[in-house]
Amino acid sequence: MSVQEIVRPAAASNLVMEARNVTVRFPIEDAPEVTAVNNFSIQIKPGEFIGIMGEPGCGKSVAAQALLGLVRPPGYLASGEVLFQGHDLLKMDPEESRKLRGKDIGMIVQNPRYSLHPMYRVGQQIAKVYRAHNPVTKQEAWDHAIAMLRMVGINDPERRANAYAHELSSGMAQRVLIAIALSSKPKLLIADEPTSGLDVTIQAQFLDQMWENVRQTNAAVVLVTQDLGIVANYCDRVLIMHKGSVVEQADVHSFFRSPNHEYSRAILALQREETSEERNTREVKVDSTSKPLIKVDKLTKLFPIRRSESKVHAVDGASFEIRPGECLGLVGESGSGKTTAGRCLLRLVEPTSGDIFYRDLNLSKLTRDEFRKKRDKLQIVFQDPLDSLNPRWTVEQCLMEPLNLHSTMTAEQKRARMQELMQLVGIDPGQIHALPKEMSAGRQQRVSIARAIATNPDFIVLDEPTSALTPETTAEIIRLLMDLSRKLGIAYLFISHDLTTVKYICHRVVVMYLGQVVEVGTKDQVFNTPAHPYAKALLSSHLFPNVENRRVDRAVRETLQGEIPSPITERLPKGCYLYGRCPSQKDRCKAEKQELKTIGDGRQVRCWRVAEGDLPIEVAVGH
Amino acid sequence: MLLRFVTRRLAVAIIQLIGISLFVFFMIRILPADPVARLVGLNATKEAYDLAAHNLGLDQPWGQQLLNYLGIYSNRPGDGVLQGDLGDSWVTSAPILEELVRFLPITLEFITYALLIAFLIAVPMAMAAATKPGKTADRVTFVWGLFAGAQPEFWWGLMFVFFFFFQFHEWGFPSAPAPLGRLNPMVSEPHTITGFILIDSLLAGNFRAFLDGAHHLMLPVFTLVFVVSGAIIKMLRQNMIRVLQSDYILYARSAGLPSRQVGFYAMRAAMAPAMTLVGIFYGFLLGGAVPIELIYSLGGIGEYSIRSILAFDYPAIQGTVLIIAMVSLLIYLVIDILHAAIDPRVTF
Repeated sequence: MSVQEIVRPAAASNLVMEARNVTVRFPIEDAPEVTAVNNFSIQIKPGEFIGIMGEPGCGKSVAAQALLGLVRPPGYLASGEVLFQGHDLLKMDPEESRKLRGKDIGMIVQNPRYSLHPMYRVGQQIAKVYRAHNPVTKQEAWDHAIAMLRMVGINDPERRANAYAHELSSGMAQRVLIAIALSSKPKLLIADEPTSGLDVTIQAQFLDQMWENVRQTNAAVVLVTQDLGIVANYCDRVLIMHKGSVVEQADVHSFFRSPNHEYSRAILALQREETSEERNTREVKVDSTSKPLIKVDKLTKLFPIRRSESKVHAVDGASFEIRPGECLGLVGESGSGKTTAGRCLLRLVEPTSGDIFYRDLNLSKLTRDEFRKKRDKLQIVFQDPLDSLNPRWTVEQCLMEPLNLHSTMTAEQKRARMQELMQLVGIDPGQIHALPKEMSAGRQQRVSIARAIATNPDFIVLDEPTSALTPETTAEIIRLLMDLSRKLGIAYLFISHDLTTVKYICHRVVVMYLGQVVEVGTKDQVFNTPAHPYAKALLSSHLFPNVENRRVDRAVRETLQGEIPSPITERLPKGCYLYGRCPSQKDRCKAEKQELKTIGDGRQVRCWRVAEGDLPIEVAVGH
Repeated sequence: MLLRFVTRRLAVAIIQLIGISLFVFFMIRILPADPVARLVGLNATKEAYDLAAHNLGLDQPWGQQLLNYLGIYSNRPGDGVLQGDLGDSWVTSAPILEELVRFLPITLEFITYALLIAFLIAVPMAMAAATKPGKTADRVTFVWGLFAGAQPEFWWGLMFVFFFFFQFHEWGFPSAPAPLGRLNPMVSEPHTITGFILIDSLLAGNFRAFLDGAHHLMLPVFTLVFVVSGAIIKMLRQNMIRVLQSDYILYARSAGLPSRQVGFYAMRAAMAPAMTLVGIFYGFLLGGAVPIELIYSLGGIGEYSIRSILAFDYPAIQGTVLIIAMVSLLIYLVIDILHAAIDPRVTF
């Protein structure tokens, strides 16, 4: 299908949709009703890209569904109207609104693989939706399905049309959903967190594709998201929702420049602070010549596969150092081995080979019992705060445990230490008997942090400590971590896929791909002038919440081809692990194993072209 | 892929069958029963008793008995299981294989029809019940499930005979035939090919036998349908409700698929687990449809196995267990293949 065919004349009315005062309520047994969405109003112009942002439970998804006239039972639409081309969707009979859904209004949801029927071929599912709205034969619908798959950027659409949902990756399944949603050329596309759970490079591929497609069809988009980066890079306008109501509605540029509402300012806190004086006083100074606190040398972890000779190469010869008081960022996409590397460091997972030095002590040579005695100095904070706290333990019990295990304090001293810890991490002393589930995720994470610092550690592995949190709490936790590091001199290994927070808190950054370290450098080196092609693509794909350099405005949107191969012995590329996806590859890369080499400016890069000066290091376009 | 799966499953089935045979062989000999005394009577002389025991081969040690049964290093005339001979019944002296070939299809026939019909009834009923929970259709299926499933099948059989045969006859309505076997004695029985009376009569072109056979099958089949459909409907309805709340059904709705199409989407996903239930019923009913066989005097394999057990007819018990296990395993295999055909996520 060519571009000309897809373009439709602009709608006669200058609004695609207008919702007025939509209110959705959920009845709750023996309690007053919950108003999930309160007087929600929105006006959508053709071709407009609107973001709806807010924390989980603020009603943004419910509002998006209400725009389709749908509410998940037992909720109901209490009042309001949703005008689509002058007709109120909420008052139409079900068959009429059914005809609009999927034809004039397309929908994309999160969990793409669960949103496709598991037993029908994806091509059939696209064709069925197309046939539900267009008078075509089965064959025509099938051909259209293949054309749609090609349009959303799926290679070999004839073959993929015959696949089932479980045979697709999430990124691919999400493209199928967009093919379904756009199959009848809708005037409006509603996307409910379409990229949650996708990796950054895949997310960028997908959003670029969606952006291209709706630009071709001049459809308007309502994008529900929690991600400031997506809003900044793709949206024209943004609605901020808080506790069921729209609290701010603004053009993206003015929103990022001068947010009005208190809540907007809270979620933009990190971005707004970055250049301010406050940040400089917060940042910890590290002596780059000091002896490393932790030194990792050729760390390797292979997981055996049952009934098979081959292995999963989770970590493949990783080496890096961390100095006292330093925060080292470990970044990479899922499957890059960053979490396994962090766990191997503390021997929560036993490394297959390689050495880990803590000061002069080789941790990997210690017996389990000897190592256990060192654990008070080496701690970890996990991603999901609720999962990592015992659900039946109060704050007091959680904090007492490490003191009981690792200290010889008297009961009196322990109580004093606990008070001190709670004050350090900012938990109200009144919450000492609270259970994890009675606290917010941010508070839970504070308890986890307090528990980790209870024994005065030198070093903490932070395994995605903020990825389960809202933007607002993320900002708070990051500030807390920096304060603790400054006051107590703790070094961190900060594992995260969120480059925005890494950029804020870390001194140096390690980039991992397929279990290998591909680049190690200072924050400025890696973020401003990434050298390795993978680091470049990662940085370029990451959506920094910066409206001055929007991804959609860039001439070249650098990204990687395809998806990460699975790290199984025989599937790993022979030479450079990036071969096949790399935009700068040469024949030599195919067979030549790459080594981590130190280049002129002191950083280490695993790419012969960079090491030999064959690939110039430029200022990144990312931000 | 399929071929490899079937071969592997059949290989496993053979091992299972060997295990089951050995287990049954020794278990019935451990039981505190004296089949010889049962045959010759309690007042028999020692000589007569010993002679009978010798004739049955029960005077041999167990190991030799097993060899005789299997047909390797046998010290008695006649073949063993490995040569395809299950031995002769101690009660009727007829070859057991012959008897099983006669009785097994009777049971297979009526439970096959019953399960097929039950499934065909259950699908639309469960669909109607699940799409509008709490509404009329849902209530009807609920009551049906409780009412039909809660009472034993012999009771329903009795009721059916009383009403459809006796009362209808009294009232002068067209009634069901007397519950006395598979065919009216006046109708000539078709030559046995499959053992399924409806199929054999059609193959023989004997239309009279077909109609009469169907007439006689009617009540036993419907009794069984009545009893098992409750459970199948309940399971389908439960699956349907779960599926209807799934993300993909919600998405199908938001993509504007017509409700009929959404119904098909849900049904297909709900059906696979219910088919497993039908398979389990099948295996269970092979030996467990005795009450219905007895009430309608059909003389199926369930009835035969009960008779053999009461008579301590060792070879008959061993043969019946072996054959029922074999058929059950085959049916499970077929169900698994069908399951995989419906659900592409199931891999061999």
